[in-house]
Amino acid sequence: MTINIENEKKDAMTTTVESSRRNFIFGSVAAAGLTVAPGMMLYQTANARSLSEKATSKVRWGMLVDTTKDVDWNKCVDACNTEHGLGNESKSRNDQKTQYIRVVDVKNKGTGYSMSLPVMCQHCEKPPCVDVCPTGASMKRPDGIVLVDRHRCIGCRYCMMACPYKARSFVHEVLSDQKENTPRGKGCVESCNMCVNRIDNGQEPACVEASDGAIVFGDLNNPESAISKILAKHGGKQIRADLKLNPGVHYQGI
Amino acid sequence: MWLHLNFNFGFNSSFVRKSLKKLPLTVASLALIAGFNTVNASQDGLGPKITIPESSGEKCILPSSEMRRQHPDLLKHDRIQTLREGVRAKVDGSQLDGSLKQCVNCHATKDESNKFVRIDNDQHFCVSCHKYAAVSIDCFQCHRDIPEGDGEFHALTNHKDANYGNITPGTSSLTSKDIANVAPEVISDDN
Repeated sequence: MTINIENEKKDAMTTTVESSRRNFIFGSVAAAGLTVAPGMMLYQTANARSLSEKATSKVRWGMLVDTTKDVDWNKCVDACNTEHGLGNESKSRNDQKTQYIRVVDVKNKGTGYSMSLPVMCQHCEKPPCVDVCPTGASMKRPDGIVLVDRHRCIGCRYCMMACPYKARSFVHEVLSDQKENTPRGKGCVESCNMCVNRIDNGQEPACVEASDGAIVFGDLNNPESAISKILAKHGGKQIRADLKLNPGVHYQGI
Repeated sequence: MWLHLNFNFGFNSSFVRKSLKKLPLTVASLALIAGFNTVNASQDGLGPKITIPESSGEKCILPSSEMRRQHPDLLKHDRIQTLREGVRAKVDGSQLDGSLKQCVNCHATKDESNKFVRIDNDQHFCVSCHKYAAVSIDCFQCHRDIPEGDGEFHALTNHKDANYGNITPGTSSLTSKDIANVAPEVISDDN
């Protein structure tokens, strides 16, 4: 009953809050994508969503990683670990420890050319991890973010087997001192959630912020967004595009 | 025992003499039993009493009586909204009713050294009641059990100087050792 009452209140107040948020966003867009505050980049120019609204499929969040830029990707990994409180396992082997972003080094033996790129959850449009999940824990939000609902995860690790990008990790031990925005614990599978809590609050993912511009984040559905413009002009590649999963993470220079 | 004493008083029998000899011990043990009762039972009757730590917020989203019954439903409802649908706040911008983060921020308790107590401590707000009710919760296997930082940056964490260092009779966090400290003679009275 209480919940219904709250909903009525919500309806009554929708207009005022929405308009103020829109003003805030559009007013700042005039500043042409300037960083407003540390860690807060205004990327939403269309389909802006208030915190009280559901995520919709009008938006599809994606990332574009420019591997040609001389960036230490470990900075992104560190930012990710800090944001999500990763790396606090004490008993797990190194290969068991959670990583949301892996730095993959590749080398062409013929030419000797080598490069490295960050590989995280690719946030597929048709994610195999969601297909195979027996409980509905592995899920895709309408705005394209693939994440694990730990309330439903039973730790069967089928999604880890299904993921072609090796993006998921399993927590093998009891954890404590988690970050309040990233609950995580023993017996659950987890992976990059594109910093969903930051996105909902109008911030960019932590790795994007730490990448010195080498990773662009934005709405793939909006042709006016920075990421769409770059992709339209210069193109980008998806890893294992042959699988036709249509990942939301694109790369340049691979 | 009083009944026995009164009944036998006029007969001057060896039993009464024996009883009178034992009177100081009887009175002492009665006093101890009375004292022990305050540890184990509330004044209005059944079961041990529970002391729930004070919260720092001005008021909760519902009256306490309703929160006691409804908090699991609120949490479950809003966790689906937040995680699966992306709803992060009420329309007025305030926290959702079922935000476990906000629950923890308001209800975090501090120990005598002014540190937040963790989930393995009986003084933790959730534990204090759930241990009493013998209902185990696994929320904090994943969720953070105390506020981040020192808690003073949060909207509703103006903590009163609650001191749970001195355990008082009637507190749920009593251990057998504590009871022994309150009434150590009880143990030796069995002889």
